[in-house]
Amino acid sequence: MHHDQVRPYPVVGLVGNPNSGKSSLFNLLTGLRQRIGNFPGVTVEKKSGTLQIDDLPPVELVDFPGAYSCYPTSLDERLVVQELTNPAGDLFPDAILYVADITKLDKHLLLFTQLRDLDLPMILVLNMADMVETSGLQVDVTELSRRLAVPVVSVSAREGRGVAELKQAIGDLLRDPAAFRPEEPFYEPGVLARDVLADLRRELPARNDYHALLLTHHASWLKHVPEKTRHLVQEARVKNKFHSLRAQVDETMTRYDTFEPIVKATVHHAGDTNSFSDRIDGVLTHHLVGPVIFVALMLFLFQALFAWSGWPMDGIEWFFATLGEGIRDYLPAGWLADLAVDGIIAGLGGVLVFVPQIALLFFFITILEEVGYMARAAYLFDSLMQKFGLNGRSVVALISGHACAIPAIMSTRTIANWKERLLTILVTPLTSCSARIPVYVILISFAVPDDSFLGFGYQGLAFAGLYFLGIASAMFSALIFKLILKTEERSFLMLEMPDYRSPVWRNVGITVWQKVKTFIVEAGKIILLISIVLWGLSSYGPPAKMAEAEASAAIIVQENGLSGDDAADVYAGEKLEASYAGHIGKFIEPVIRPLGYDWKIGIALFTSFAAREVFVGTMATIYSVGSAGDDELRIRDRMAEEINPVTGEPVYNQATAWSLLVFYVFAMMCMSTLAVTKRETGGWKWPIIQFTFMTTLAYVSAMAVYQVLA
Amino acid sequence: MPFPRSTAASNFAAGMSGTIDRFTNENLAGKLLDIGVRPGSRLRLVRRGPFGGSWYVKIDRHCVALRQQELACIMIK
Repeated sequence: MHHDQVRPYPVVGLVGNPNSGKSSLFNLLTGLRQRIGNFPGVTVEKKSGTLQIDDLPPVELVDFPGAYSCYPTSLDERLVVQELTNPAGDLFPDAILYVADITKLDKHLLLFTQLRDLDLPMILVLNMADMVETSGLQVDVTELSRRLAVPVVSVSAREGRGVAELKQAIGDLLRDPAAFRPEEPFYEPGVLARDVLADLRRELPARNDYHALLLTHHASWLKHVPEKTRHLVQEARVKNKFHSLRAQVDETMTRYDTFEPIVKATVHHAGDTNSFSDRIDGVLTHHLVGPVIFVALMLFLFQALFAWSGWPMDGIEWFFATLGEGIRDYLPAGWLADLAVDGIIAGLGGVLVFVPQIALLFFFITILEEVGYMARAAYLFDSLMQKFGLNGRSVVALISGHACAIPAIMSTRTIANWKERLLTILVTPLTSCSARIPVYVILISFAVPDDSFLGFGYQGLAFAGLYFLGIASAMFSALIFKLILKTEERSFLMLEMPDYRSPVWRNVGITVWQKVKTFIVEAGKIILLISIVLWGLSSYGPPAKMAEAEASAAIIVQENGLSGDDAADVYAGEKLEASYAGHIGKFIEPVIRPLGYDWKIGIALFTSFAAREVFVGTMATIYSVGSAGDDELRIRDRMAEEINPVTGEPVYNQATAWSLLVFYVFAMMCMSTLAVTKRETGGWKWPIIQFTFMTTLAYVSAMAVYQVLA
Repeated sequence: MPFPRSTAASNFAAGMSGTIDRFTNENLAGKLLDIGVRPGSRLRLVRRGPFGGSWYVKIDRHCVALRQQELACIMIK
């Protein structure tokens, strides 16, 4: 691949081990000019951004997932090998920035030498150069560059040092990539691979021997290898008794032997550098104190989440209520004003009101991740998780699930064992995500008296109880799936625990911004659409029925001498019953009656299956308090007045409220989560199973709760 | 092949250390090598995790978490 000229859209890949600070560097180089998509054909998140260097055409910088070697054990790692062994692919980079942690060069050079042997123009980026001064580490960059035969640039992504030199080096490389190609490989395929390669070398579309070797190892799962070649490889492997694992171990050991002397000659450690992390870990990973601190940390986190998100949420609600009133004053009364205020504004407000909580939760979780605590949490709970068929890494997903199941499910990609990963995906949506919060807030006041015992508010305790119910049901469901599903695949812990570091605030900020943006765009689209459709369904109905409803409302108003708001409420109520939404509610009423719900709750339940946060907005529309925005208290007052016409009792009594709460804890009411499950598991089978088990669990439990309490 | 007098790391108690000699399971060996655990590395069992089963291990200067059965395939000399 010689280029006489710079390609019009050069692609530069950012590759490195997990915890090498690769993403920090990516954030530093691209800032907010990042695009998030998926790698073709897989669901691994692809981050790319544009980099402008002098007069060169804009460079596309692709942030590849972290990988340890060309012998992948997780989906993330597979992707790196897949793209870097496919010279015909769109993402095949013109050059690679290989990021290595300066303090872990003895490990991080393994993948470096492998990629170098694939004949890719490379720059070695030594990250965390700030450690050189603080820890007394010394690196002879010139010598390292000479021995590895690549340009070496030291940067500090944390402090933003070395960027200019790095850009300079990328520019030089893109202008003359041929000059940056390796002269000799670090490793020649050994005895174990010689025979099989002799057979295959001509057949395989390989750039060199090492490329051919990797294709031989991985042909069975590499997507760009055609079926015919796959068969050829398989036959040759059998014929020559090629033992993939043995060859891998042999290669890895040989590589370590090759670069270890280079590291020894160029990197000098001054004494034991990790004593700070060690001392913290003495406490945080202590077998008794560690779990206690973890639980305390989580309690603090959720407490802060509610305490700190209160006023921005009030602010957002106030803003949309005011905006709605403003629009009502401005537009002439009629369907347009109703659609704008009750449909669109109420829907938008319903989405944006979650932003403070989601932002805060991601803020905390990103900090825990950045600091290095998440790996410790995975270590602490691995043994416990294994009893439930999960992996220590599942802890990360189960914590993140309390913000939103979607990124939580995506975080399971680091779990190498398919069964453990699948179980984590299946049960994560049972943890109480932030979309359930407003539903809980409204219903708890009907379920639990506003009293306290020994200073603990009953409602607060009930809230905590619902969260506990969610996590307990997740663990219990995992246990059941563990017993049903069988697998022979080996499970790993083998988790690196990076040194503790203070968080890089740029990374935290960018992550929170990206998650919030995704939430607003993705969830927003659905909620807005549903709000508009729901508004239509509840405002219109079969014309004859609607006319009838209007007439009967007029009679009630006249008989009771009502006027103003009261009269309007009567009209709205009668019309809702006659509307299409009313028909849907009545249609499902027989199914939900054993749970203690009437047809109005039925409408809310029905719409909640798209996204559970729609509940509040639907309640607002149903009880025609839409003009007050999503003011939970207003809706709550209106709900409290609702009387069952048959029994004369309040509709929202304790039994119904608890039944609804339990239903919302368990039910799979989020289309986006199902879509992510489908993508991550590669088919409809698992999302259907997930939907069925969660919703059945919800139905049966809610019925049991109602029948016991009623 | 002569067997040196080596013992599996899983037989160690917290605080004990030694030099890694070889691995007895190829499947785990590949993955262990990837994360930088290799023959010649110094291994020290720092502490046992809660609920049993996992260990906080120091390999040279780096910290990793390993399960009991992962330690069982690491021979120490």
